[in-house]
Amino acid sequence: MRALDIAARLLVRGLVLAAVLFLMLPLLVACILSFDARSFLGPFPPPAYSLRWYRAFLDNPAYMDGFWISLQLAVVAAALATAIGTAAALALADPRLRGARALEALFLSPKFVPTVVVGFSLLVFTARLGLFDPFTRLVMGHTIITLPFTLRAVLASLVGLRRSHLEAAMSLGATEARALWDVAVPAARSGIVAGAAMAFVLSFDEVAVSLFLSDAFTQTLPIALVAEMRANLNLTVAAVSTVFLGATLLLLLVLDRTLGIERLAGDVAARG
Amino acid sequence: MALRLWLLVPALLALIILMGGPVLVLGLESFRPFIPGSVRTGEGFTLFHYLELLQPAYLFYIWETFRFGLIVATLAVLGAAPLAYAAVRSPRAWVRKGLLAMLVGMLVMSLIARLYAIEMTWGSNGPLAPLGALTGIAPRSPRYAEVQVAIGLLHFCLPVVALMLVGTFRALSPRLEEAASSLGATRTDAIVSVVLPLAAPGLVSGFLVALAMCISNFIAPLLLGRGVVVFTTSLMYTRFADIGNYPSGAAIGVVMLVLSFLVVYGLTALAQRVFPK
Repeated sequence: MRALDIAARLLVRGLVLAAVLFLMLPLLVACILSFDARSFLGPFPPPAYSLRWYRAFLDNPAYMDGFWISLQLAVVAAALATAIGTAAALALADPRLRGARALEALFLSPKFVPTVVVGFSLLVFTARLGLFDPFTRLVMGHTIITLPFTLRAVLASLVGLRRSHLEAAMSLGATEARALWDVAVPAARSGIVAGAAMAFVLSFDEVAVSLFLSDAFTQTLPIALVAEMRANLNLTVAAVSTVFLGATLLLLLVLDRTLGIERLAGDVAARG
Repeated sequence: MALRLWLLVPALLALIILMGGPVLVLGLESFRPFIPGSVRTGEGFTLFHYLELLQPAYLFYIWETFRFGLIVATLAVLGAAPLAYAAVRSPRAWVRKGLLAMLVGMLVMSLIARLYAIEMTWGSNGPLAPLGALTGIAPRSPRYAEVQVAIGLLHFCLPVVALMLVGTFRALSPRLEEAASSLGATRTDAIVSVVLPLAAPGLVSGFLVALAMCISNFIAPLLLGRGVVVFTTSLMYTRFADIGNYPSGAAIGVVMLVLSFLVVYGLTALAQRVFPK
């Protein structure tokens, strides 16, 4: 029995280690390859190192234009989704609201609409309305796909908020708006920040919705990257991936300092 | 109270304008006849685009999509459960924090970059190609694209399922395991007979969310499928991009939407009957 117990524990440790390696190793390999000095895609590991792929990335106007469009799009969509999601979460957190569970399920449902369907249906819909501006269309698509994430994160952070705190504020003379702003919004801060970060990242990385809604002159960075990967597999994308990895680590560090990873995991974990 | 209702208005409007309206128009579009060579769709009503999907070739694509989903979702739960358990219950604080940071980091990290990294690592030139060959499919053969798509989807789902399960395990009191061991159970016994049954609803919803994520994924077959792996999502995209057949694309979209909601809501409701809370 004891031997079995030890074997089982070793097995679980092995599985944890395997899962960690499975998730981390590819990122490490891409990171090392991005410094490859060879002009072609050769076997791993590279014999010499250089920054040529980073230069290739910076010198490519398609990437730079795409980067700016993606940045603007992600900022606008994340801001909209955060504002709309936070407002709805504040309303849904009220235990007196009847049908709150059904409304919550309704607001979270876009998460399970395949992104190709979101993109395609918005394309047909906006064409019917005569709306052809690509940036507006992209903002529409990116807002609806990120909304469930901001809403869910804010709702998760409001779990600890007690109705009595709001009532205390109101009994001291605060209006309901004032009470929400001064009591509920600060309590939801971690969820708002986590949700906004998730929305920004999701929008910045979105492909399916953007493929349908962008035009030849409004290409996002992910679309430029996908086009490059499909046309010829070279290491410029490895350089971009490494930049993404650096940005992710930086974001994690900032989020850990401001919210703490444990809290953050709680807010984003409560999905599904 | 009135103010709180007003706070719901922007979300309701967003949902109606950005989701309800478009899906309705998509549904209507799917019944229109297709005029080859024209972007405009014909007038009238037809079920042709749905009947077309019942042909064996199309049913095969739907089955293919689900086959990947079922395999990957199973692997995701198997890998995510120990990971999440360690992230919640490991006696070492740095292990817990490190694992959580890694999982959140994966959620934040660009999926395009992750899929590219998988191509570089598991692809025929990559250092892990010999490991991929253990599936019995040679890395140089075209069918190896299947292995890569599965790996890509697993990389996508695993952190999400693991974080869901972190929520599940956090909700279970550690006292339960302590009680089991004070009654003479080994740690393995306690996990198998106390923790796993209590976590079953979480494991099931993790599986279903992973399945839904896989069958509606577009980018993994696009980037790693090399045209060998075709999902229903890819089929819909080619309808739009290559032949401009909007009504047929719309019908595929409606079918995908229904399947995705059936997986998430239908099967979840079923699971709740089997594992009542």
